Amino acid sequence: MGALSTAPFRQEFPFLEWKRGLTVQRWKHLAAAVLLAVLTVFASFRCNVDVASFFTGIGKGAALLQMFFPPEWSGVGGMMQPLAVTAVMALIATILGMCLSLPCALAASSNLAPPLLRLTMRSFIALERGLPEIVQMLLLIAIFGLGAIPGLVALSFSSIGMLAKLLADGIEEIEPQMLEAVEGTGATRSQVIRYAVIPQILPSLLANGLFRFEVNVRAGVILGAVGAGGIGYVMSSSMNAMEYPRACMATLLTLALVFASERISDFFRARIFSAGALR
Amino acid sequence: MTTLEVPPGALPSRKLRLMISFLLGMAAVLCLLFAFLGMGPASFFVDFRFIADLAEQMLPPNMGLLWSKSIFFSLIDTLSMAFLGTIVGGALALFLAFFAAINTAPHRLVRLFTRTLLVANRSVPHLIVILVLLVAVGIGPFAGVLTLIFGSVGMYGKFFADAIEQSDKGTLESVESVGSTRLQTIRFAVLPQVMPSFAANLFYAFDYNLRAAIPLGVFGGGGIGFQLAFANGLLHYKDVLAYTIAIVVMINGMERISDWVRRSIITQPMVTK
Repeated sequence: MGALSTAPFRQEFPFLEWKRGLTVQRWKHLAAAVLLAVLTVFASFRCNVDVASFFTGIGKGAALLQMFFPPEWSGVGGMMQPLAVTAVMALIATILGMCLSLPCALAASSNLAPPLLRLTMRSFIALERGLPEIVQMLLLIAIFGLGAIPGLVALSFSSIGMLAKLLADGIEEIEPQMLEAVEGTGATRSQVIRYAVIPQILPSLLANGLFRFEVNVRAGVILGAVGAGGIGYVMSSSMNAMEYPRACMATLLTLALVFASERISDFFRARIFSAGALR
Repeated sequence: MTTLEVPPGALPSRKLRLMISFLLGMAAVLCLLFAFLGMGPASFFVDFRFIADLAEQMLPPNMGLLWSKSIFFSLIDTLSMAFLGTIVGGALALFLAFFAAINTAPHRLVRLFTRTLLVANRSVPHLIVILVLLVAVGIGPFAGVLTLIFGSVGMYGKFFADAIEQSDKGTLESVESVGSTRLQTIRFAVLPQVMPSFAANLFYAFDYNLRAAIPLGVFGGGGIGFQLAFANGLLHYKDVLAYTIAIVVMINGMERISDWVRRSIITQPMVTK
C-alpha cells in the first residue's frame, strides 16, 4: 500500500527525492569530517605535535641552514665517486628487478600458474612489498657486512616486489580469449607466454621499471646513510660530524642526481607511451 | 610444386638477432656496472655460516613482544605519523594546487612561482629533511610528521594542480556566467569535479607515507622504525624479527583496508551536490 501510493508522488516531485538525497549526503560528509577530526587530534596527541616547538624550530632550522652556506665546492671531486655508487646501485637494482620480476609475475598470475605456485608467489610478493628496504638492509648487513652489496640486494628485492605485483595484476587482466586464440593454433605454454602475454605487459614493465629507477635512487640515498655507502653516507656522516658546508655540497649533488633521474625516467616514459605498441 | 626455400643468410631473423644483441649488450653493461662497484659473482656467495648464525640468533622470534603494550603503541605512533603526514600534507597540497593550476591561479607569475616550488620540493629526498628537522625540532615523531608533510606536499601538489587544469572548462564557464566570485567558482565548479580523485589519491599517499615512516623512525623520527633500529643496535635479533613481523603485517593490512575504503568511496554513487 505504502510503496504503491508514493510511486506517483515521486514522479511528480523528483525535487523532494533529490533533497532527501542531499540531506543524507550532508550527514555522511559531516560524519566523515568528525571522524577525520577525531583521528587527527588523536594522532597529533600520539606524535607530540607541538606548535610552539615548530615555531622555535623554524628559527633553529634557519640558523642551521645558514651554517650550510657557502657549500664546500672543493669537495665536489671527492664526492663524484659516492654519487656514482648510489646511481649505479639504483641502476643495477632496477635492471635486476625488471629481469627477475617477469618470471615471478608469470608464476603469480592466476591464468598461467597452478594455484599452489600462485599462492606461494603471491605471498612472497606480499612479504617483499611489506618489508621496507631499510628493514631488509638492517638484516642483510648482518649477513654481508657493510657496503654496497646489502644495499643492492635490498633494492633489488623491493623492486621485484613492486614490479611483480603490477605485472601479475596486468597479466590477470589479459582477456582469456587471447590466450585461447594462441593456444588454438597449437602453441605450447612457452609460446603462449611469448606471443600472447609478453607483448601485452612489456610496455607496462618498461614504464614501471623506469619509475622504479627513480624510487631506487631516493631509497638508495637513505640506505647509504645506514651503511650502503654512496652519497647518503657522505651526507649523514658530515651532518653528524657537523661539517655543514660539506653536507650542503652532498645535498646539492643528491638533488641534482634525483632531479636528473626524474627527468631521464620521464623522458623515456613519454617515448614509450608515444611510440604506442612496442615490440 | 616448388619447395619453399629459405635464403641462406636469413634464418636467424633480423628481429631475433636484434633481440639477442640487445640482451648481450645489456649483460655487458650490467657486468661493467658490477665491476665499477668492485663486485664479482664471488662477493654474493658469503660464507653460509653468517646466514646460519643470523637464523640461529633470530629464531624463534620474540613472540611475547608482539602482544606487549610497547609494540602496540609504537605501531600506533607510526600509523599516526603517516596519517598526519597525509592529511596535513594533502590539505597543503590542495591549497597550493589552486595557485599552481592555470585556470584558478590569480596570476601567471604566482603559478610559475608555485610550480617551481613544488618541483623543487619533489626532488628533496626525505633524508635531508629529517636530518635538518632533527636539529630543528628535536628527536621524536614530530620531526617525522613534518618530514612526511613536506614530502606529501611536493608529491601531490603538482599532481593535484594537473588534475585541476584538466577539469571541465564548460562547468567553470557556466558557473562564472551566473556571476560567481573566484572562490565560488572553485567551490561549485572545480572542487566537485576533482574531489573524488583527490580522495582516492590520498589513500595511495597514506600507503606511501606508512612505508616512508619506517626509515624516518630509524633516523630518530619515532615509531616502530625507531624501536627496530634500537633493537638492531643492541643485536637483539629475536626482537628485530618480532618487529619485522609486526611491520609486514601492519603494512599489508593497511594496504588492504585502504584499498577497500578507496573502492567503496569511488563506486559510491555521487549524489548531486
